[in-house]
Amino acid sequence: MPLDPITHMALEVREVSVHFGGVRALDSVTFGVMGGTVTGLIGPNGAGKTTLFNVLSGLQTPDQGRVLLAGREITRKKPHQRAQLGLARTFQRLELFWSLSAGENVRVGAEAVVQWWHPSHIRQTLGRGTPVRPGGPGTPAHGSAGVAALLERVGLGGLDWEPVDGLPTGQARLVELARALAIGPQVLLLDEPGSGLDDSESAVLGDLLVELAGEGMAVLLVEHDMDLLMRVCSQIFVLDYGQLIAGGTPEEIRANPAVQAAYLGSAQ
Amino acid sequence: MHEFLQFTVIGIAIGAVYAVAASGLVVTYSTTGVFNFAHGAVAMVSAFSFSEMTVTHGLPVWLALVVVIGVEAPILGVLVQLLMRRLFGASVERSLMVTLGLLLILLGAADEIWGGQSSRQPGQLYSGATSYSVLGVHLTVANLLVMIVAAGVAIFLGFFLKRTRTGVAMRAVVDDPDLLAMAGASPARIATMGWIIGVVLAAVAGILIAPLQGGNLSQTTLTLFVVNAYAAAVFGRLRNLPVTFVAALGVGLGETYIGNYLQQYEPGFTQNWLSVPSQTLPIVFLLIALLILPQDRLRAVGRAVTTRIPKVASLGQSLVGGAAVVALALLASVALGTDWQGIVRQGLIFGIVALSLVLLTGYAGQVSLCQVTFAGVGAFAMGKVTGGGSWLGVLAAVGLSAGVGMLVAWPTTRLRGLYLALFTLAVAAFADAWFFTNTNYLFDYNHSSSLLIKRLGLFGISFEGNRAEMILLAVAFALASILVLALRRGVFGRRLVGLSDSPAACATVGLNVKATKLAVFGISAGLAGLAGALYGTNQGFVGALDFQFLISLNVLLMLVIWGARSTSGALVAGLCSAVLLQKGGNLSGIILGVGVLVIGWLPNGIIGTGWPMLRELVRDRSPGEAPAPEAELVEDAGHAA
Ligand SMILES: Nc1ncnc2c1ncn2[C@@H]1O[C@H](COP(=O)(O)OP(=O)(O)OP(=O)(O)O)[C@@H](O)[C@H]1O
Ligand SMILES: [Mg+2]
Repeated sequence: MPLDPITHMALEVREVSVHFGGVRALDSVTFGVMGGTVTGLIGPNGAGKTTLFNVLSGLQTPDQGRVLLAGREITRKKPHQRAQLGLARTFQRLELFWSLSAGENVRVGAEAVVQWWHPSHIRQTLGRGTPVRPGGPGTPAHGSAGVAALLERVGLGGLDWEPVDGLPTGQARLVELARALAIGPQVLLLDEPGSGLDDSESAVLGDLLVELAGEGMAVLLVEHDMDLLMRVCSQIFVLDYGQLIAGGTPEEIRANPAVQAAYLGSAQ
Repeated sequence: MHEFLQFTVIGIAIGAVYAVAASGLVVTYSTTGVFNFAHGAVAMVSAFSFSEMTVTHGLPVWLALVVVIGVEAPILGVLVQLLMRRLFGASVERSLMVTLGLLLILLGAADEIWGGQSSRQPGQLYSGATSYSVLGVHLTVANLLVMIVAAGVAIFLGFFLKRTRTGVAMRAVVDDPDLLAMAGASPARIATMGWIIGVVLAAVAGILIAPLQGGNLSQTTLTLFVVNAYAAAVFGRLRNLPVTFVAALGVGLGETYIGNYLQQYEPGFTQNWLSVPSQTLPIVFLLIALLILPQDRLRAVGRAVTTRIPKVASLGQSLVGGAAVVALALLASVALGTDWQGIVRQGLIFGIVALSLVLLTGYAGQVSLCQVTFAGVGAFAMGKVTGGGSWLGVLAAVGLSAGVGMLVAWPTTRLRGLYLALFTLAVAAFADAWFFTNTNYLFDYNHSSSLLIKRLGLFGISFEGNRAEMILLAVAFALASILVLALRRGVFGRRLVGLSDSPAACATVGLNVKATKLAVFGISAGLAGLAGALYGTNQGFVGALDFQFLISLNVLLMLVIWGARSTSGALVAGLCSAVLLQKGGNLSGIILGVGVLVIGWLPNGIIGTGWPMLRELVRDRSPGEAPAPEAELVEDAGHAA
């Protein structure tokens, strides 16, 4: 049963700052991500995108500022607590469990949230089966069937027992995506999921993101592939030297002179 | 006041030696990324060869100094670098095993050349026992000399690292290896320099500490003194030389003040609680240094050099394997002589300890150097509950060691890799110096010399006889290995491997990393405790020397050689450990150390690497029958393999 896109602030960032020695990696950044949408986050290399993801997922303590998940303050929560509250992420530099298979990677995610008292576990025990589309918000993958279905969904059907250290980068990225989805997140942070993907994989990814947003998930997407961004995002924010310099629809961002300057200034 | 000043002088002198040793550790670590666990052994070997030349062969002091510091130490440094080069980019755990192997080789070599624990006269660095009196405080030549050398080392390092090209490049390695390559410096040459300086400073420290140790050298004191240097280096976070220097002086002063204060004013405390303050205090300092380390942030680590874990045996396969172990034990109890039967029994017990390490180190990637200490705690519970030798005692053994294991893990969940290894080393050393030898009424480990433990019985069957005991031990090993494999196949096992591969990723999918670490430490220590209890029943008693740090090291390294992620590796490792301890004599350390150096680069050990290769070979010969996909890479198919 597809949920209606819910237009609430799924994730809010308020005046977050981080510095490393003399480098201001994030400088009082404030913005929000709506439930049921895909939001883009772009910026030149070193702009602070990954640092922001680390703050959001709890791997980096901000110097100041707050993070809210569905209106609830999570600034002081540990990474695993944030995940249990429905926040999932992937990593720019792949952070897989390299000595496990693709399916096992996904299972570690699924099993971290699916406990015996979990609704989806009870549903399955009562014979209502696995959700047809595991990985959507609030529908973690459950058991081998759920994991297989989720792998199928990200385009890795049948690779359940494939060791991940032998996979090409593109597919390894998709395993990470599946692992993140396995917890049934409300908010999904993706750090350059498209790099290393070929055109057809990239198209599948775009469709999947739109589909997940349609189920009510809030997706925050860091990506350099402009075509992908234009196709799936309803909002795009732009970071430069740790500061949020623009925000708006893809068309607005494309036309924004400040954004062009930031990109041209650093790319050339 | 006068007394205080006198202690201050002595404390500074001792601290100065620690400073020399610790700065060697820091230089090596910061240029090569390798923490040298063999640092103390290098100091010991150098001091012994110095004494050999001057005292035994009457060489002039200056010549001996030139030979030891100018020739022997640099050659050793270059050799070590050659060994380590192969491990470039390997995990912390792997390089750690190799320096531990080196430690065993040097200890074994010293045993072989200079014989056992016998202490020797240090070489005379200076003639006569002149001492000066400044403001009524005695200043011996030895004290003065040590202080001058330490100051010289500080000045040299400061100049070398700040002013010379090589030195500047060495500092740059820490901050940015790419920058270094850009500056045109060769990383291999820098690493070689790092090792040479480290080894030379260890040698200098070894020669200097001897006269301060009251005029005799023994292997243990020399190897142990470096624990103080570890503490100082950890205070400096293994990177900061000035902080390390100051910390070393602080440690030297602290040791002298506290040790002398306790001996003078609290003799009762010393007698009851610290059998030898000079051996216990360093370890306490190291523990403190590690405990005040700041929280280690969960970090994305990217892709380390990892290896595929061979497919895990199914329940059926592990049952068959377990049955095979019991059958073989039965066979051994018929076919072998009494002597070898004893070795096999001990091997099965060490095998259970190794299994506990498969779980902790093999799967979860947590290095523990105190696994046999946990076993000792188990034996303690076994001996103290209902007079020693009951199933209640076994239960208590498992429970108590699991508790102690979690207690050890509690502060270390913040630490990882190297610091975790250092912490468990400190725990093991502390237990050796304090718990196992304790005669205080509260913890009295062994009333006079040993703690008696009787053989068990079950449903009227007594395990009094050695054959029955052998079967009991084999069954215990089989059950433990079935348990370990079952854990690995399940939710918990996947989590452990995940924890080992990427703690950050584990946390971001909602796994409580700290709780998982506590759990695995608890289960693993509990298993080791079971082994300790069985050790007691087998031997009939346990004593102060049964659970020493070196035995932990033996079992761990042997497991690494055979395959840290394999239960059959655990069995073979246990048996080999027992054989070495019983039959190896002085050579056992050398054999084991060389084994680690040779096998160290095979991440899955002999069995984990050899078994799949063997299957590969067999498959090539018979191309007609392609194996079923599930059967691929099955390890542990039979423990007999
Ligand atoms: N752990 C760290 N220590 C010191 N500086 C850091 C650290 N992490 C990031 N930085 C610095 O913070 C700034 C922002 O880095 P960040 O990785 O967040 O950028 P990014 O937008 O993700 O870049 P890219 O597009 O290259 O991934 C950079 O200047 C980087 O050098
Ligand atoms: Mg980035």
